[in-house]
Amino acid sequence: MNDFLVTWIASIPALALPYALASVGLIVSERAGVLSLGAEGLMLVGALAGVGAYLTTDGSAFVAIVASMVAAGLVSVLFAVLVVWLRVNQVIAGLALVFFCQGLTNLVGTLADWSNRAIPGIAELNFGFLSDLPVVGPILFRHDVLIYLLVPVCFSVHYFLSSTTYGLKLKAVGENPDAADAAGINVSRVRFWAVVAGALLVGSAGGYLSVVSAKIWVAGMTSGRGWIAVALVIFARWKPVQALAGAILFGAVEALIPQLNAAGVKLPQYYLLMTPYVATFVVMIWQAFRERSDADGPASLGQPYIREERT
Amino acid sequence: MPVWARALVSLAAVMFGLAVSAIILALAGVAPSSLVTEFGSTLADPESLKAVLSQSVPLILVGIAASVAFRARFWNLGLEGQMIMGGIAAAAISIHQVGAESIRIELMALAAMFAGIAWIALPMALKYLLRINEIIATLLLNYIAQYALYDLLFGAWKDPTDSFPHSGPFSAAERLPVIGDWLQSGLLVALLVVAATFWLLQISRAGFYLRFIYANATMAHRMGVPTGRIVAIAVLASGAIAGLAGFVIPSGIEGRLTQGYFEGYGFSGVLIAFLAQNNPLSASVVAILVAILFVVGQSLQIFYQIPFSMVQLIQAIIVMCVAGADFFVRHRLILQR
Amino acid sequence: MDNALALEMAGIRKNFGSFRALDDASLDVRWGEVHAILGENGAGKSSLMNVAAGLYSPDGGLLRINGQACDLTGPRDAMARSVGMIHQHFKLVKRFSAVQNVLLANPRGSYRQGLAEIGREINKHAKALGFDLDLHRPVGLLSVAEQQRVEIIKTLVAGARILILDEPTAVLTDEEGAKLLRTISDLAQRGAAIVLVTHKLRDVQTFADRVTVMRGGRTIATLNRGTSSDELATLAVGTKIVAPQRGDGKPGVERLIVRDLHDESSDQSRLRQVTFTVRSGEIYGIAGVGGNGQTELADILSGSRAPSSGHVEAVLPGGARVDLSSGNPRRRIDFGFAAVPADRQGQAIASSVSIVDNYAIAHVHTGRFGPWWRFKRAAAREATSVALRDADVQGVRSASQRVGLLSGGNAQKLVMAREFSRAPKIIIVHSPSRGLDVRACAAIHRRLLNAREEGVAVVLISEDLDEILSLSDRIGVMTAGRIVAEFDASGDRQAIGRAMVGHV
Repeated sequence: MNDFLVTWIASIPALALPYALASVGLIVSERAGVLSLGAEGLMLVGALAGVGAYLTTDGSAFVAIVASMVAAGLVSVLFAVLVVWLRVNQVIAGLALVFFCQGLTNLVGTLADWSNRAIPGIAELNFGFLSDLPVVGPILFRHDVLIYLLVPVCFSVHYFLSSTTYGLKLKAVGENPDAADAAGINVSRVRFWAVVAGALLVGSAGGYLSVVSAKIWVAGMTSGRGWIAVALVIFARWKPVQALAGAILFGAVEALIPQLNAAGVKLPQYYLLMTPYVATFVVMIWQAFRERSDADGPASLGQPYIREERT
Repeated sequence: MPVWARALVSLAAVMFGLAVSAIILALAGVAPSSLVTEFGSTLADPESLKAVLSQSVPLILVGIAASVAFRARFWNLGLEGQMIMGGIAAAAISIHQVGAESIRIELMALAAMFAGIAWIALPMALKYLLRINEIIATLLLNYIAQYALYDLLFGAWKDPTDSFPHSGPFSAAERLPVIGDWLQSGLLVALLVVAATFWLLQISRAGFYLRFIYANATMAHRMGVPTGRIVAIAVLASGAIAGLAGFVIPSGIEGRLTQGYFEGYGFSGVLIAFLAQNNPLSASVVAILVAILFVVGQSLQIFYQIPFSMVQLIQAIIVMCVAGADFFVRHRLILQR
Repeated sequence: MDNALALEMAGIRKNFGSFRALDDASLDVRWGEVHAILGENGAGKSSLMNVAAGLYSPDGGLLRINGQACDLTGPRDAMARSVGMIHQHFKLVKRFSAVQNVLLANPRGSYRQGLAEIGREINKHAKALGFDLDLHRPVGLLSVAEQQRVEIIKTLVAGARILILDEPTAVLTDEEGAKLLRTISDLAQRGAAIVLVTHKLRDVQTFADRVTVMRGGRTIATLNRGTSSDELATLAVGTKIVAPQRGDGKPGVERLIVRDLHDESSDQSRLRQVTFTVRSGEIYGIAGVGGNGQTELADILSGSRAPSSGHVEAVLPGGARVDLSSGNPRRRIDFGFAAVPADRQGQAIASSVSIVDNYAIAHVHTGRFGPWWRFKRAAAREATSVALRDADVQGVRSASQRVGLLSGGNAQKLVMAREFSRAPKIIIVHSPSRGLDVRACAAIHRRLLNAREEGVAVVLISEDLDEILSLSDRIGVMTAGRIVAEFDASGDRQAIGRAMVGHV
């Protein structure tokens, strides 16, 4: 039992990270009032770009992660142009973006021959004797560097939103773009950069998934994590630290499956694979009972902002 | 902007989208001239035309399913999940030999519709009772349905003769017949659905009420419109039609329940509804155009090794172009400066 | 003080598509004066001020701030030139505190520094003006008058010396409004230039040094203090409109009985033991400042919501009583209720739907326009045409056009025509003439008085005391969710006003 718990808990951070980074990225854009349903697509782009960069630069994981961020950021510009400048319905644009990214990544993955090629990934850090401690060692001291960066990143975003002037402006744009505009803030510009910045984080989540977690690119490998992240953001009431907690919860659920299998528990394979999705349902329903679930959202979320004048 | 000008703008946007796609294809190794010949041969060759008609059937159905739901402001992104459940229900009727052979195919169709209704009922209840966003709920159910299908196809329903993850073949009585040499009876089913939907949305009182609910649900409620009932009719109808789409592919095209028959239809349905502005008649026309795209995509896959997801990419590009072009329709003042 | 004019606007033109909002409008404001802009709704007052505040860019004309000609690039530019505007709909982020809102418009150094500095400045201004302001509560939780104070201080912190206030007393009680205007006069005494956009004659006469009258997008005249209200009114309206006279009523039996209505659903305005009765052929006016429960009461009476407790009873001809306390619009309609809500766009019409459909929806369920399996549009169109003619609805090129294209007054006429086509016995009317010009207003009032003649029991909820006084047979004053006093037709305006602020 002890062994089971330790291995299970030790495997949680790596599975939680993609959910966490994707949710925090979504929070940045949604707090500015832009509903970013394209996360699933951006994660795919990040995942492919990560593996692609790794394969073409002969093994630099750092470059791979940066590439995943940049690629997702570039693709998000397309989305930002559609919803911020052209005022396209954000749901349609988000869906179109997901399918665009699915098609694009499949195509490029096949043509560039990046699919199904295993890579070594990132080494775990070694903290000397700390890593060898029983129980605590594997749980806390045997992860790769990105996992250790995860908590600071979440807290940085939290700090940015709650205690900086720019964060205040971003939130104002999301709550009442009319008021922000009257205060002299360029609503379109803030939303544009919020989308791109959020995409950088979402892309890195995808990059981690392919380069570090699975160590391979396979078409459609995100399997709905982007959609789950969207639900997670609502569950986290648009707060980065709470999103981290939610991500850990989902990581725990996802980590349970292989552990149960390894422990010899015989469960129907495909029904086990359903658990993250069922868990999302449970979370959404619980959230609905806890409070009127969208009551905490940024007031102008999903609505394009059109000021009558000034053109 | 007058209607004809708006249509022109949309058409220009579609052309632009196709041009962008052509560029991408050229980068992938398909010369534009080859593209043109592909399109040409598809339209000229009777076999290809039959394939197009055959392919139109599920596309018309999902396009209409999406349109009906969108008319109630319900984002039904669970079309694939409903198709899967529809296919499973129909296959179950076949595998367990329910009912006499003479009515089996009708039973399969009915079962598929009920399965689609059941699969959309949960997200519908969650939305209207608990205010849970149906976008995520319907999407999640797609994944869950998919795994349920794999469980059956890799397990209890695996074809014993070849051990492939597909069901055994359906008997002749369980397949949609081809009338004459070319008329897919599935097409008749689709046309029937088009007519029924047209009646529901344009002629019936429910359609009248639905228009108000779409425009201003608060006002409709105040006027005494039974909003709950009308919306439920539209949403459940959407599920039923999607379920039916999940029946026509195994029964009409593939002859058995397979692993991936539903792939790509979810988005295609949304795309068709979007381009047709949720109008069932336009949706049928757009569906046929998308069917042509599908058939061309299949040729590209076979002859040029372009993955079929290119079709998905092209559809997404077209949606983005048309959606983006709408800006210029609404804000023509800017162009006049 | 400078000899130059604080604000000078000449020959300003502004079009929105084919709609001419401003057509040769002009204004000049001196330092140290309170200058009112008077006009009806749609006269162009707000548009002109939006130009001065940098929100609209004019299509023509001249704008000078403190003697310097300028072409404003945006609200920031205007703020930099000391022009501050307090809008009718406050530009505040409800979730933020007062300090955060002011900081948003006036960024200062780092966040923490900014908060501290802004906090100090706010306190300084608040003290000078005699305000008491909670700096750290989310402004959404403050009262409307308090939110307005935050808006004013926001501009003062930004260094505004020209303050433009757009209909500032519209959402305040008489007393709060007077207090506000005294503060504004104070600021003017200390050298600021104040522009007061309003349609209230009384405010103009009490507080303005000069008044510019606007109508139809242009400036009609600029007059000094002391001009008679008659002259001002005629200038603002153009011609004399004869208000319909209320003859003696012949009230009949009780039609609507409301007892102990209680509603807890909204934080801001709960209903507490609301009780009143209305007889047939009588207009019962409910007076009060907005936000005291009127909307909740209107919703409950029209059936779109159920109260937490209490009774709404209709008395049918013949004497039978029907309890209609549950929230069911269909039942109300079946028992002869009709309602004209205040929020026309949101609740009375579907803007993107045709005029015909918007009229027909009242009758579709009866089968008059076809059975459930077929809606007969031709029949609906015919009925609608007749109704449009009878109600004198203008601006209809085709009955199939979207109802959103109708002007406010015409849309309201359509709504009333529709509601009355049901031959109701009881009608709930909420702010029926809000936002309408005088002509449309008179038409609406005439319709209500006709209904009264025909024996309909009318509940008139309105924030316009003049409207209440001219139409009502009996008046109930609503404050803090309760009917605190009732008056009959001869009710004294002062007494009513006192009742409106007395119980808080």
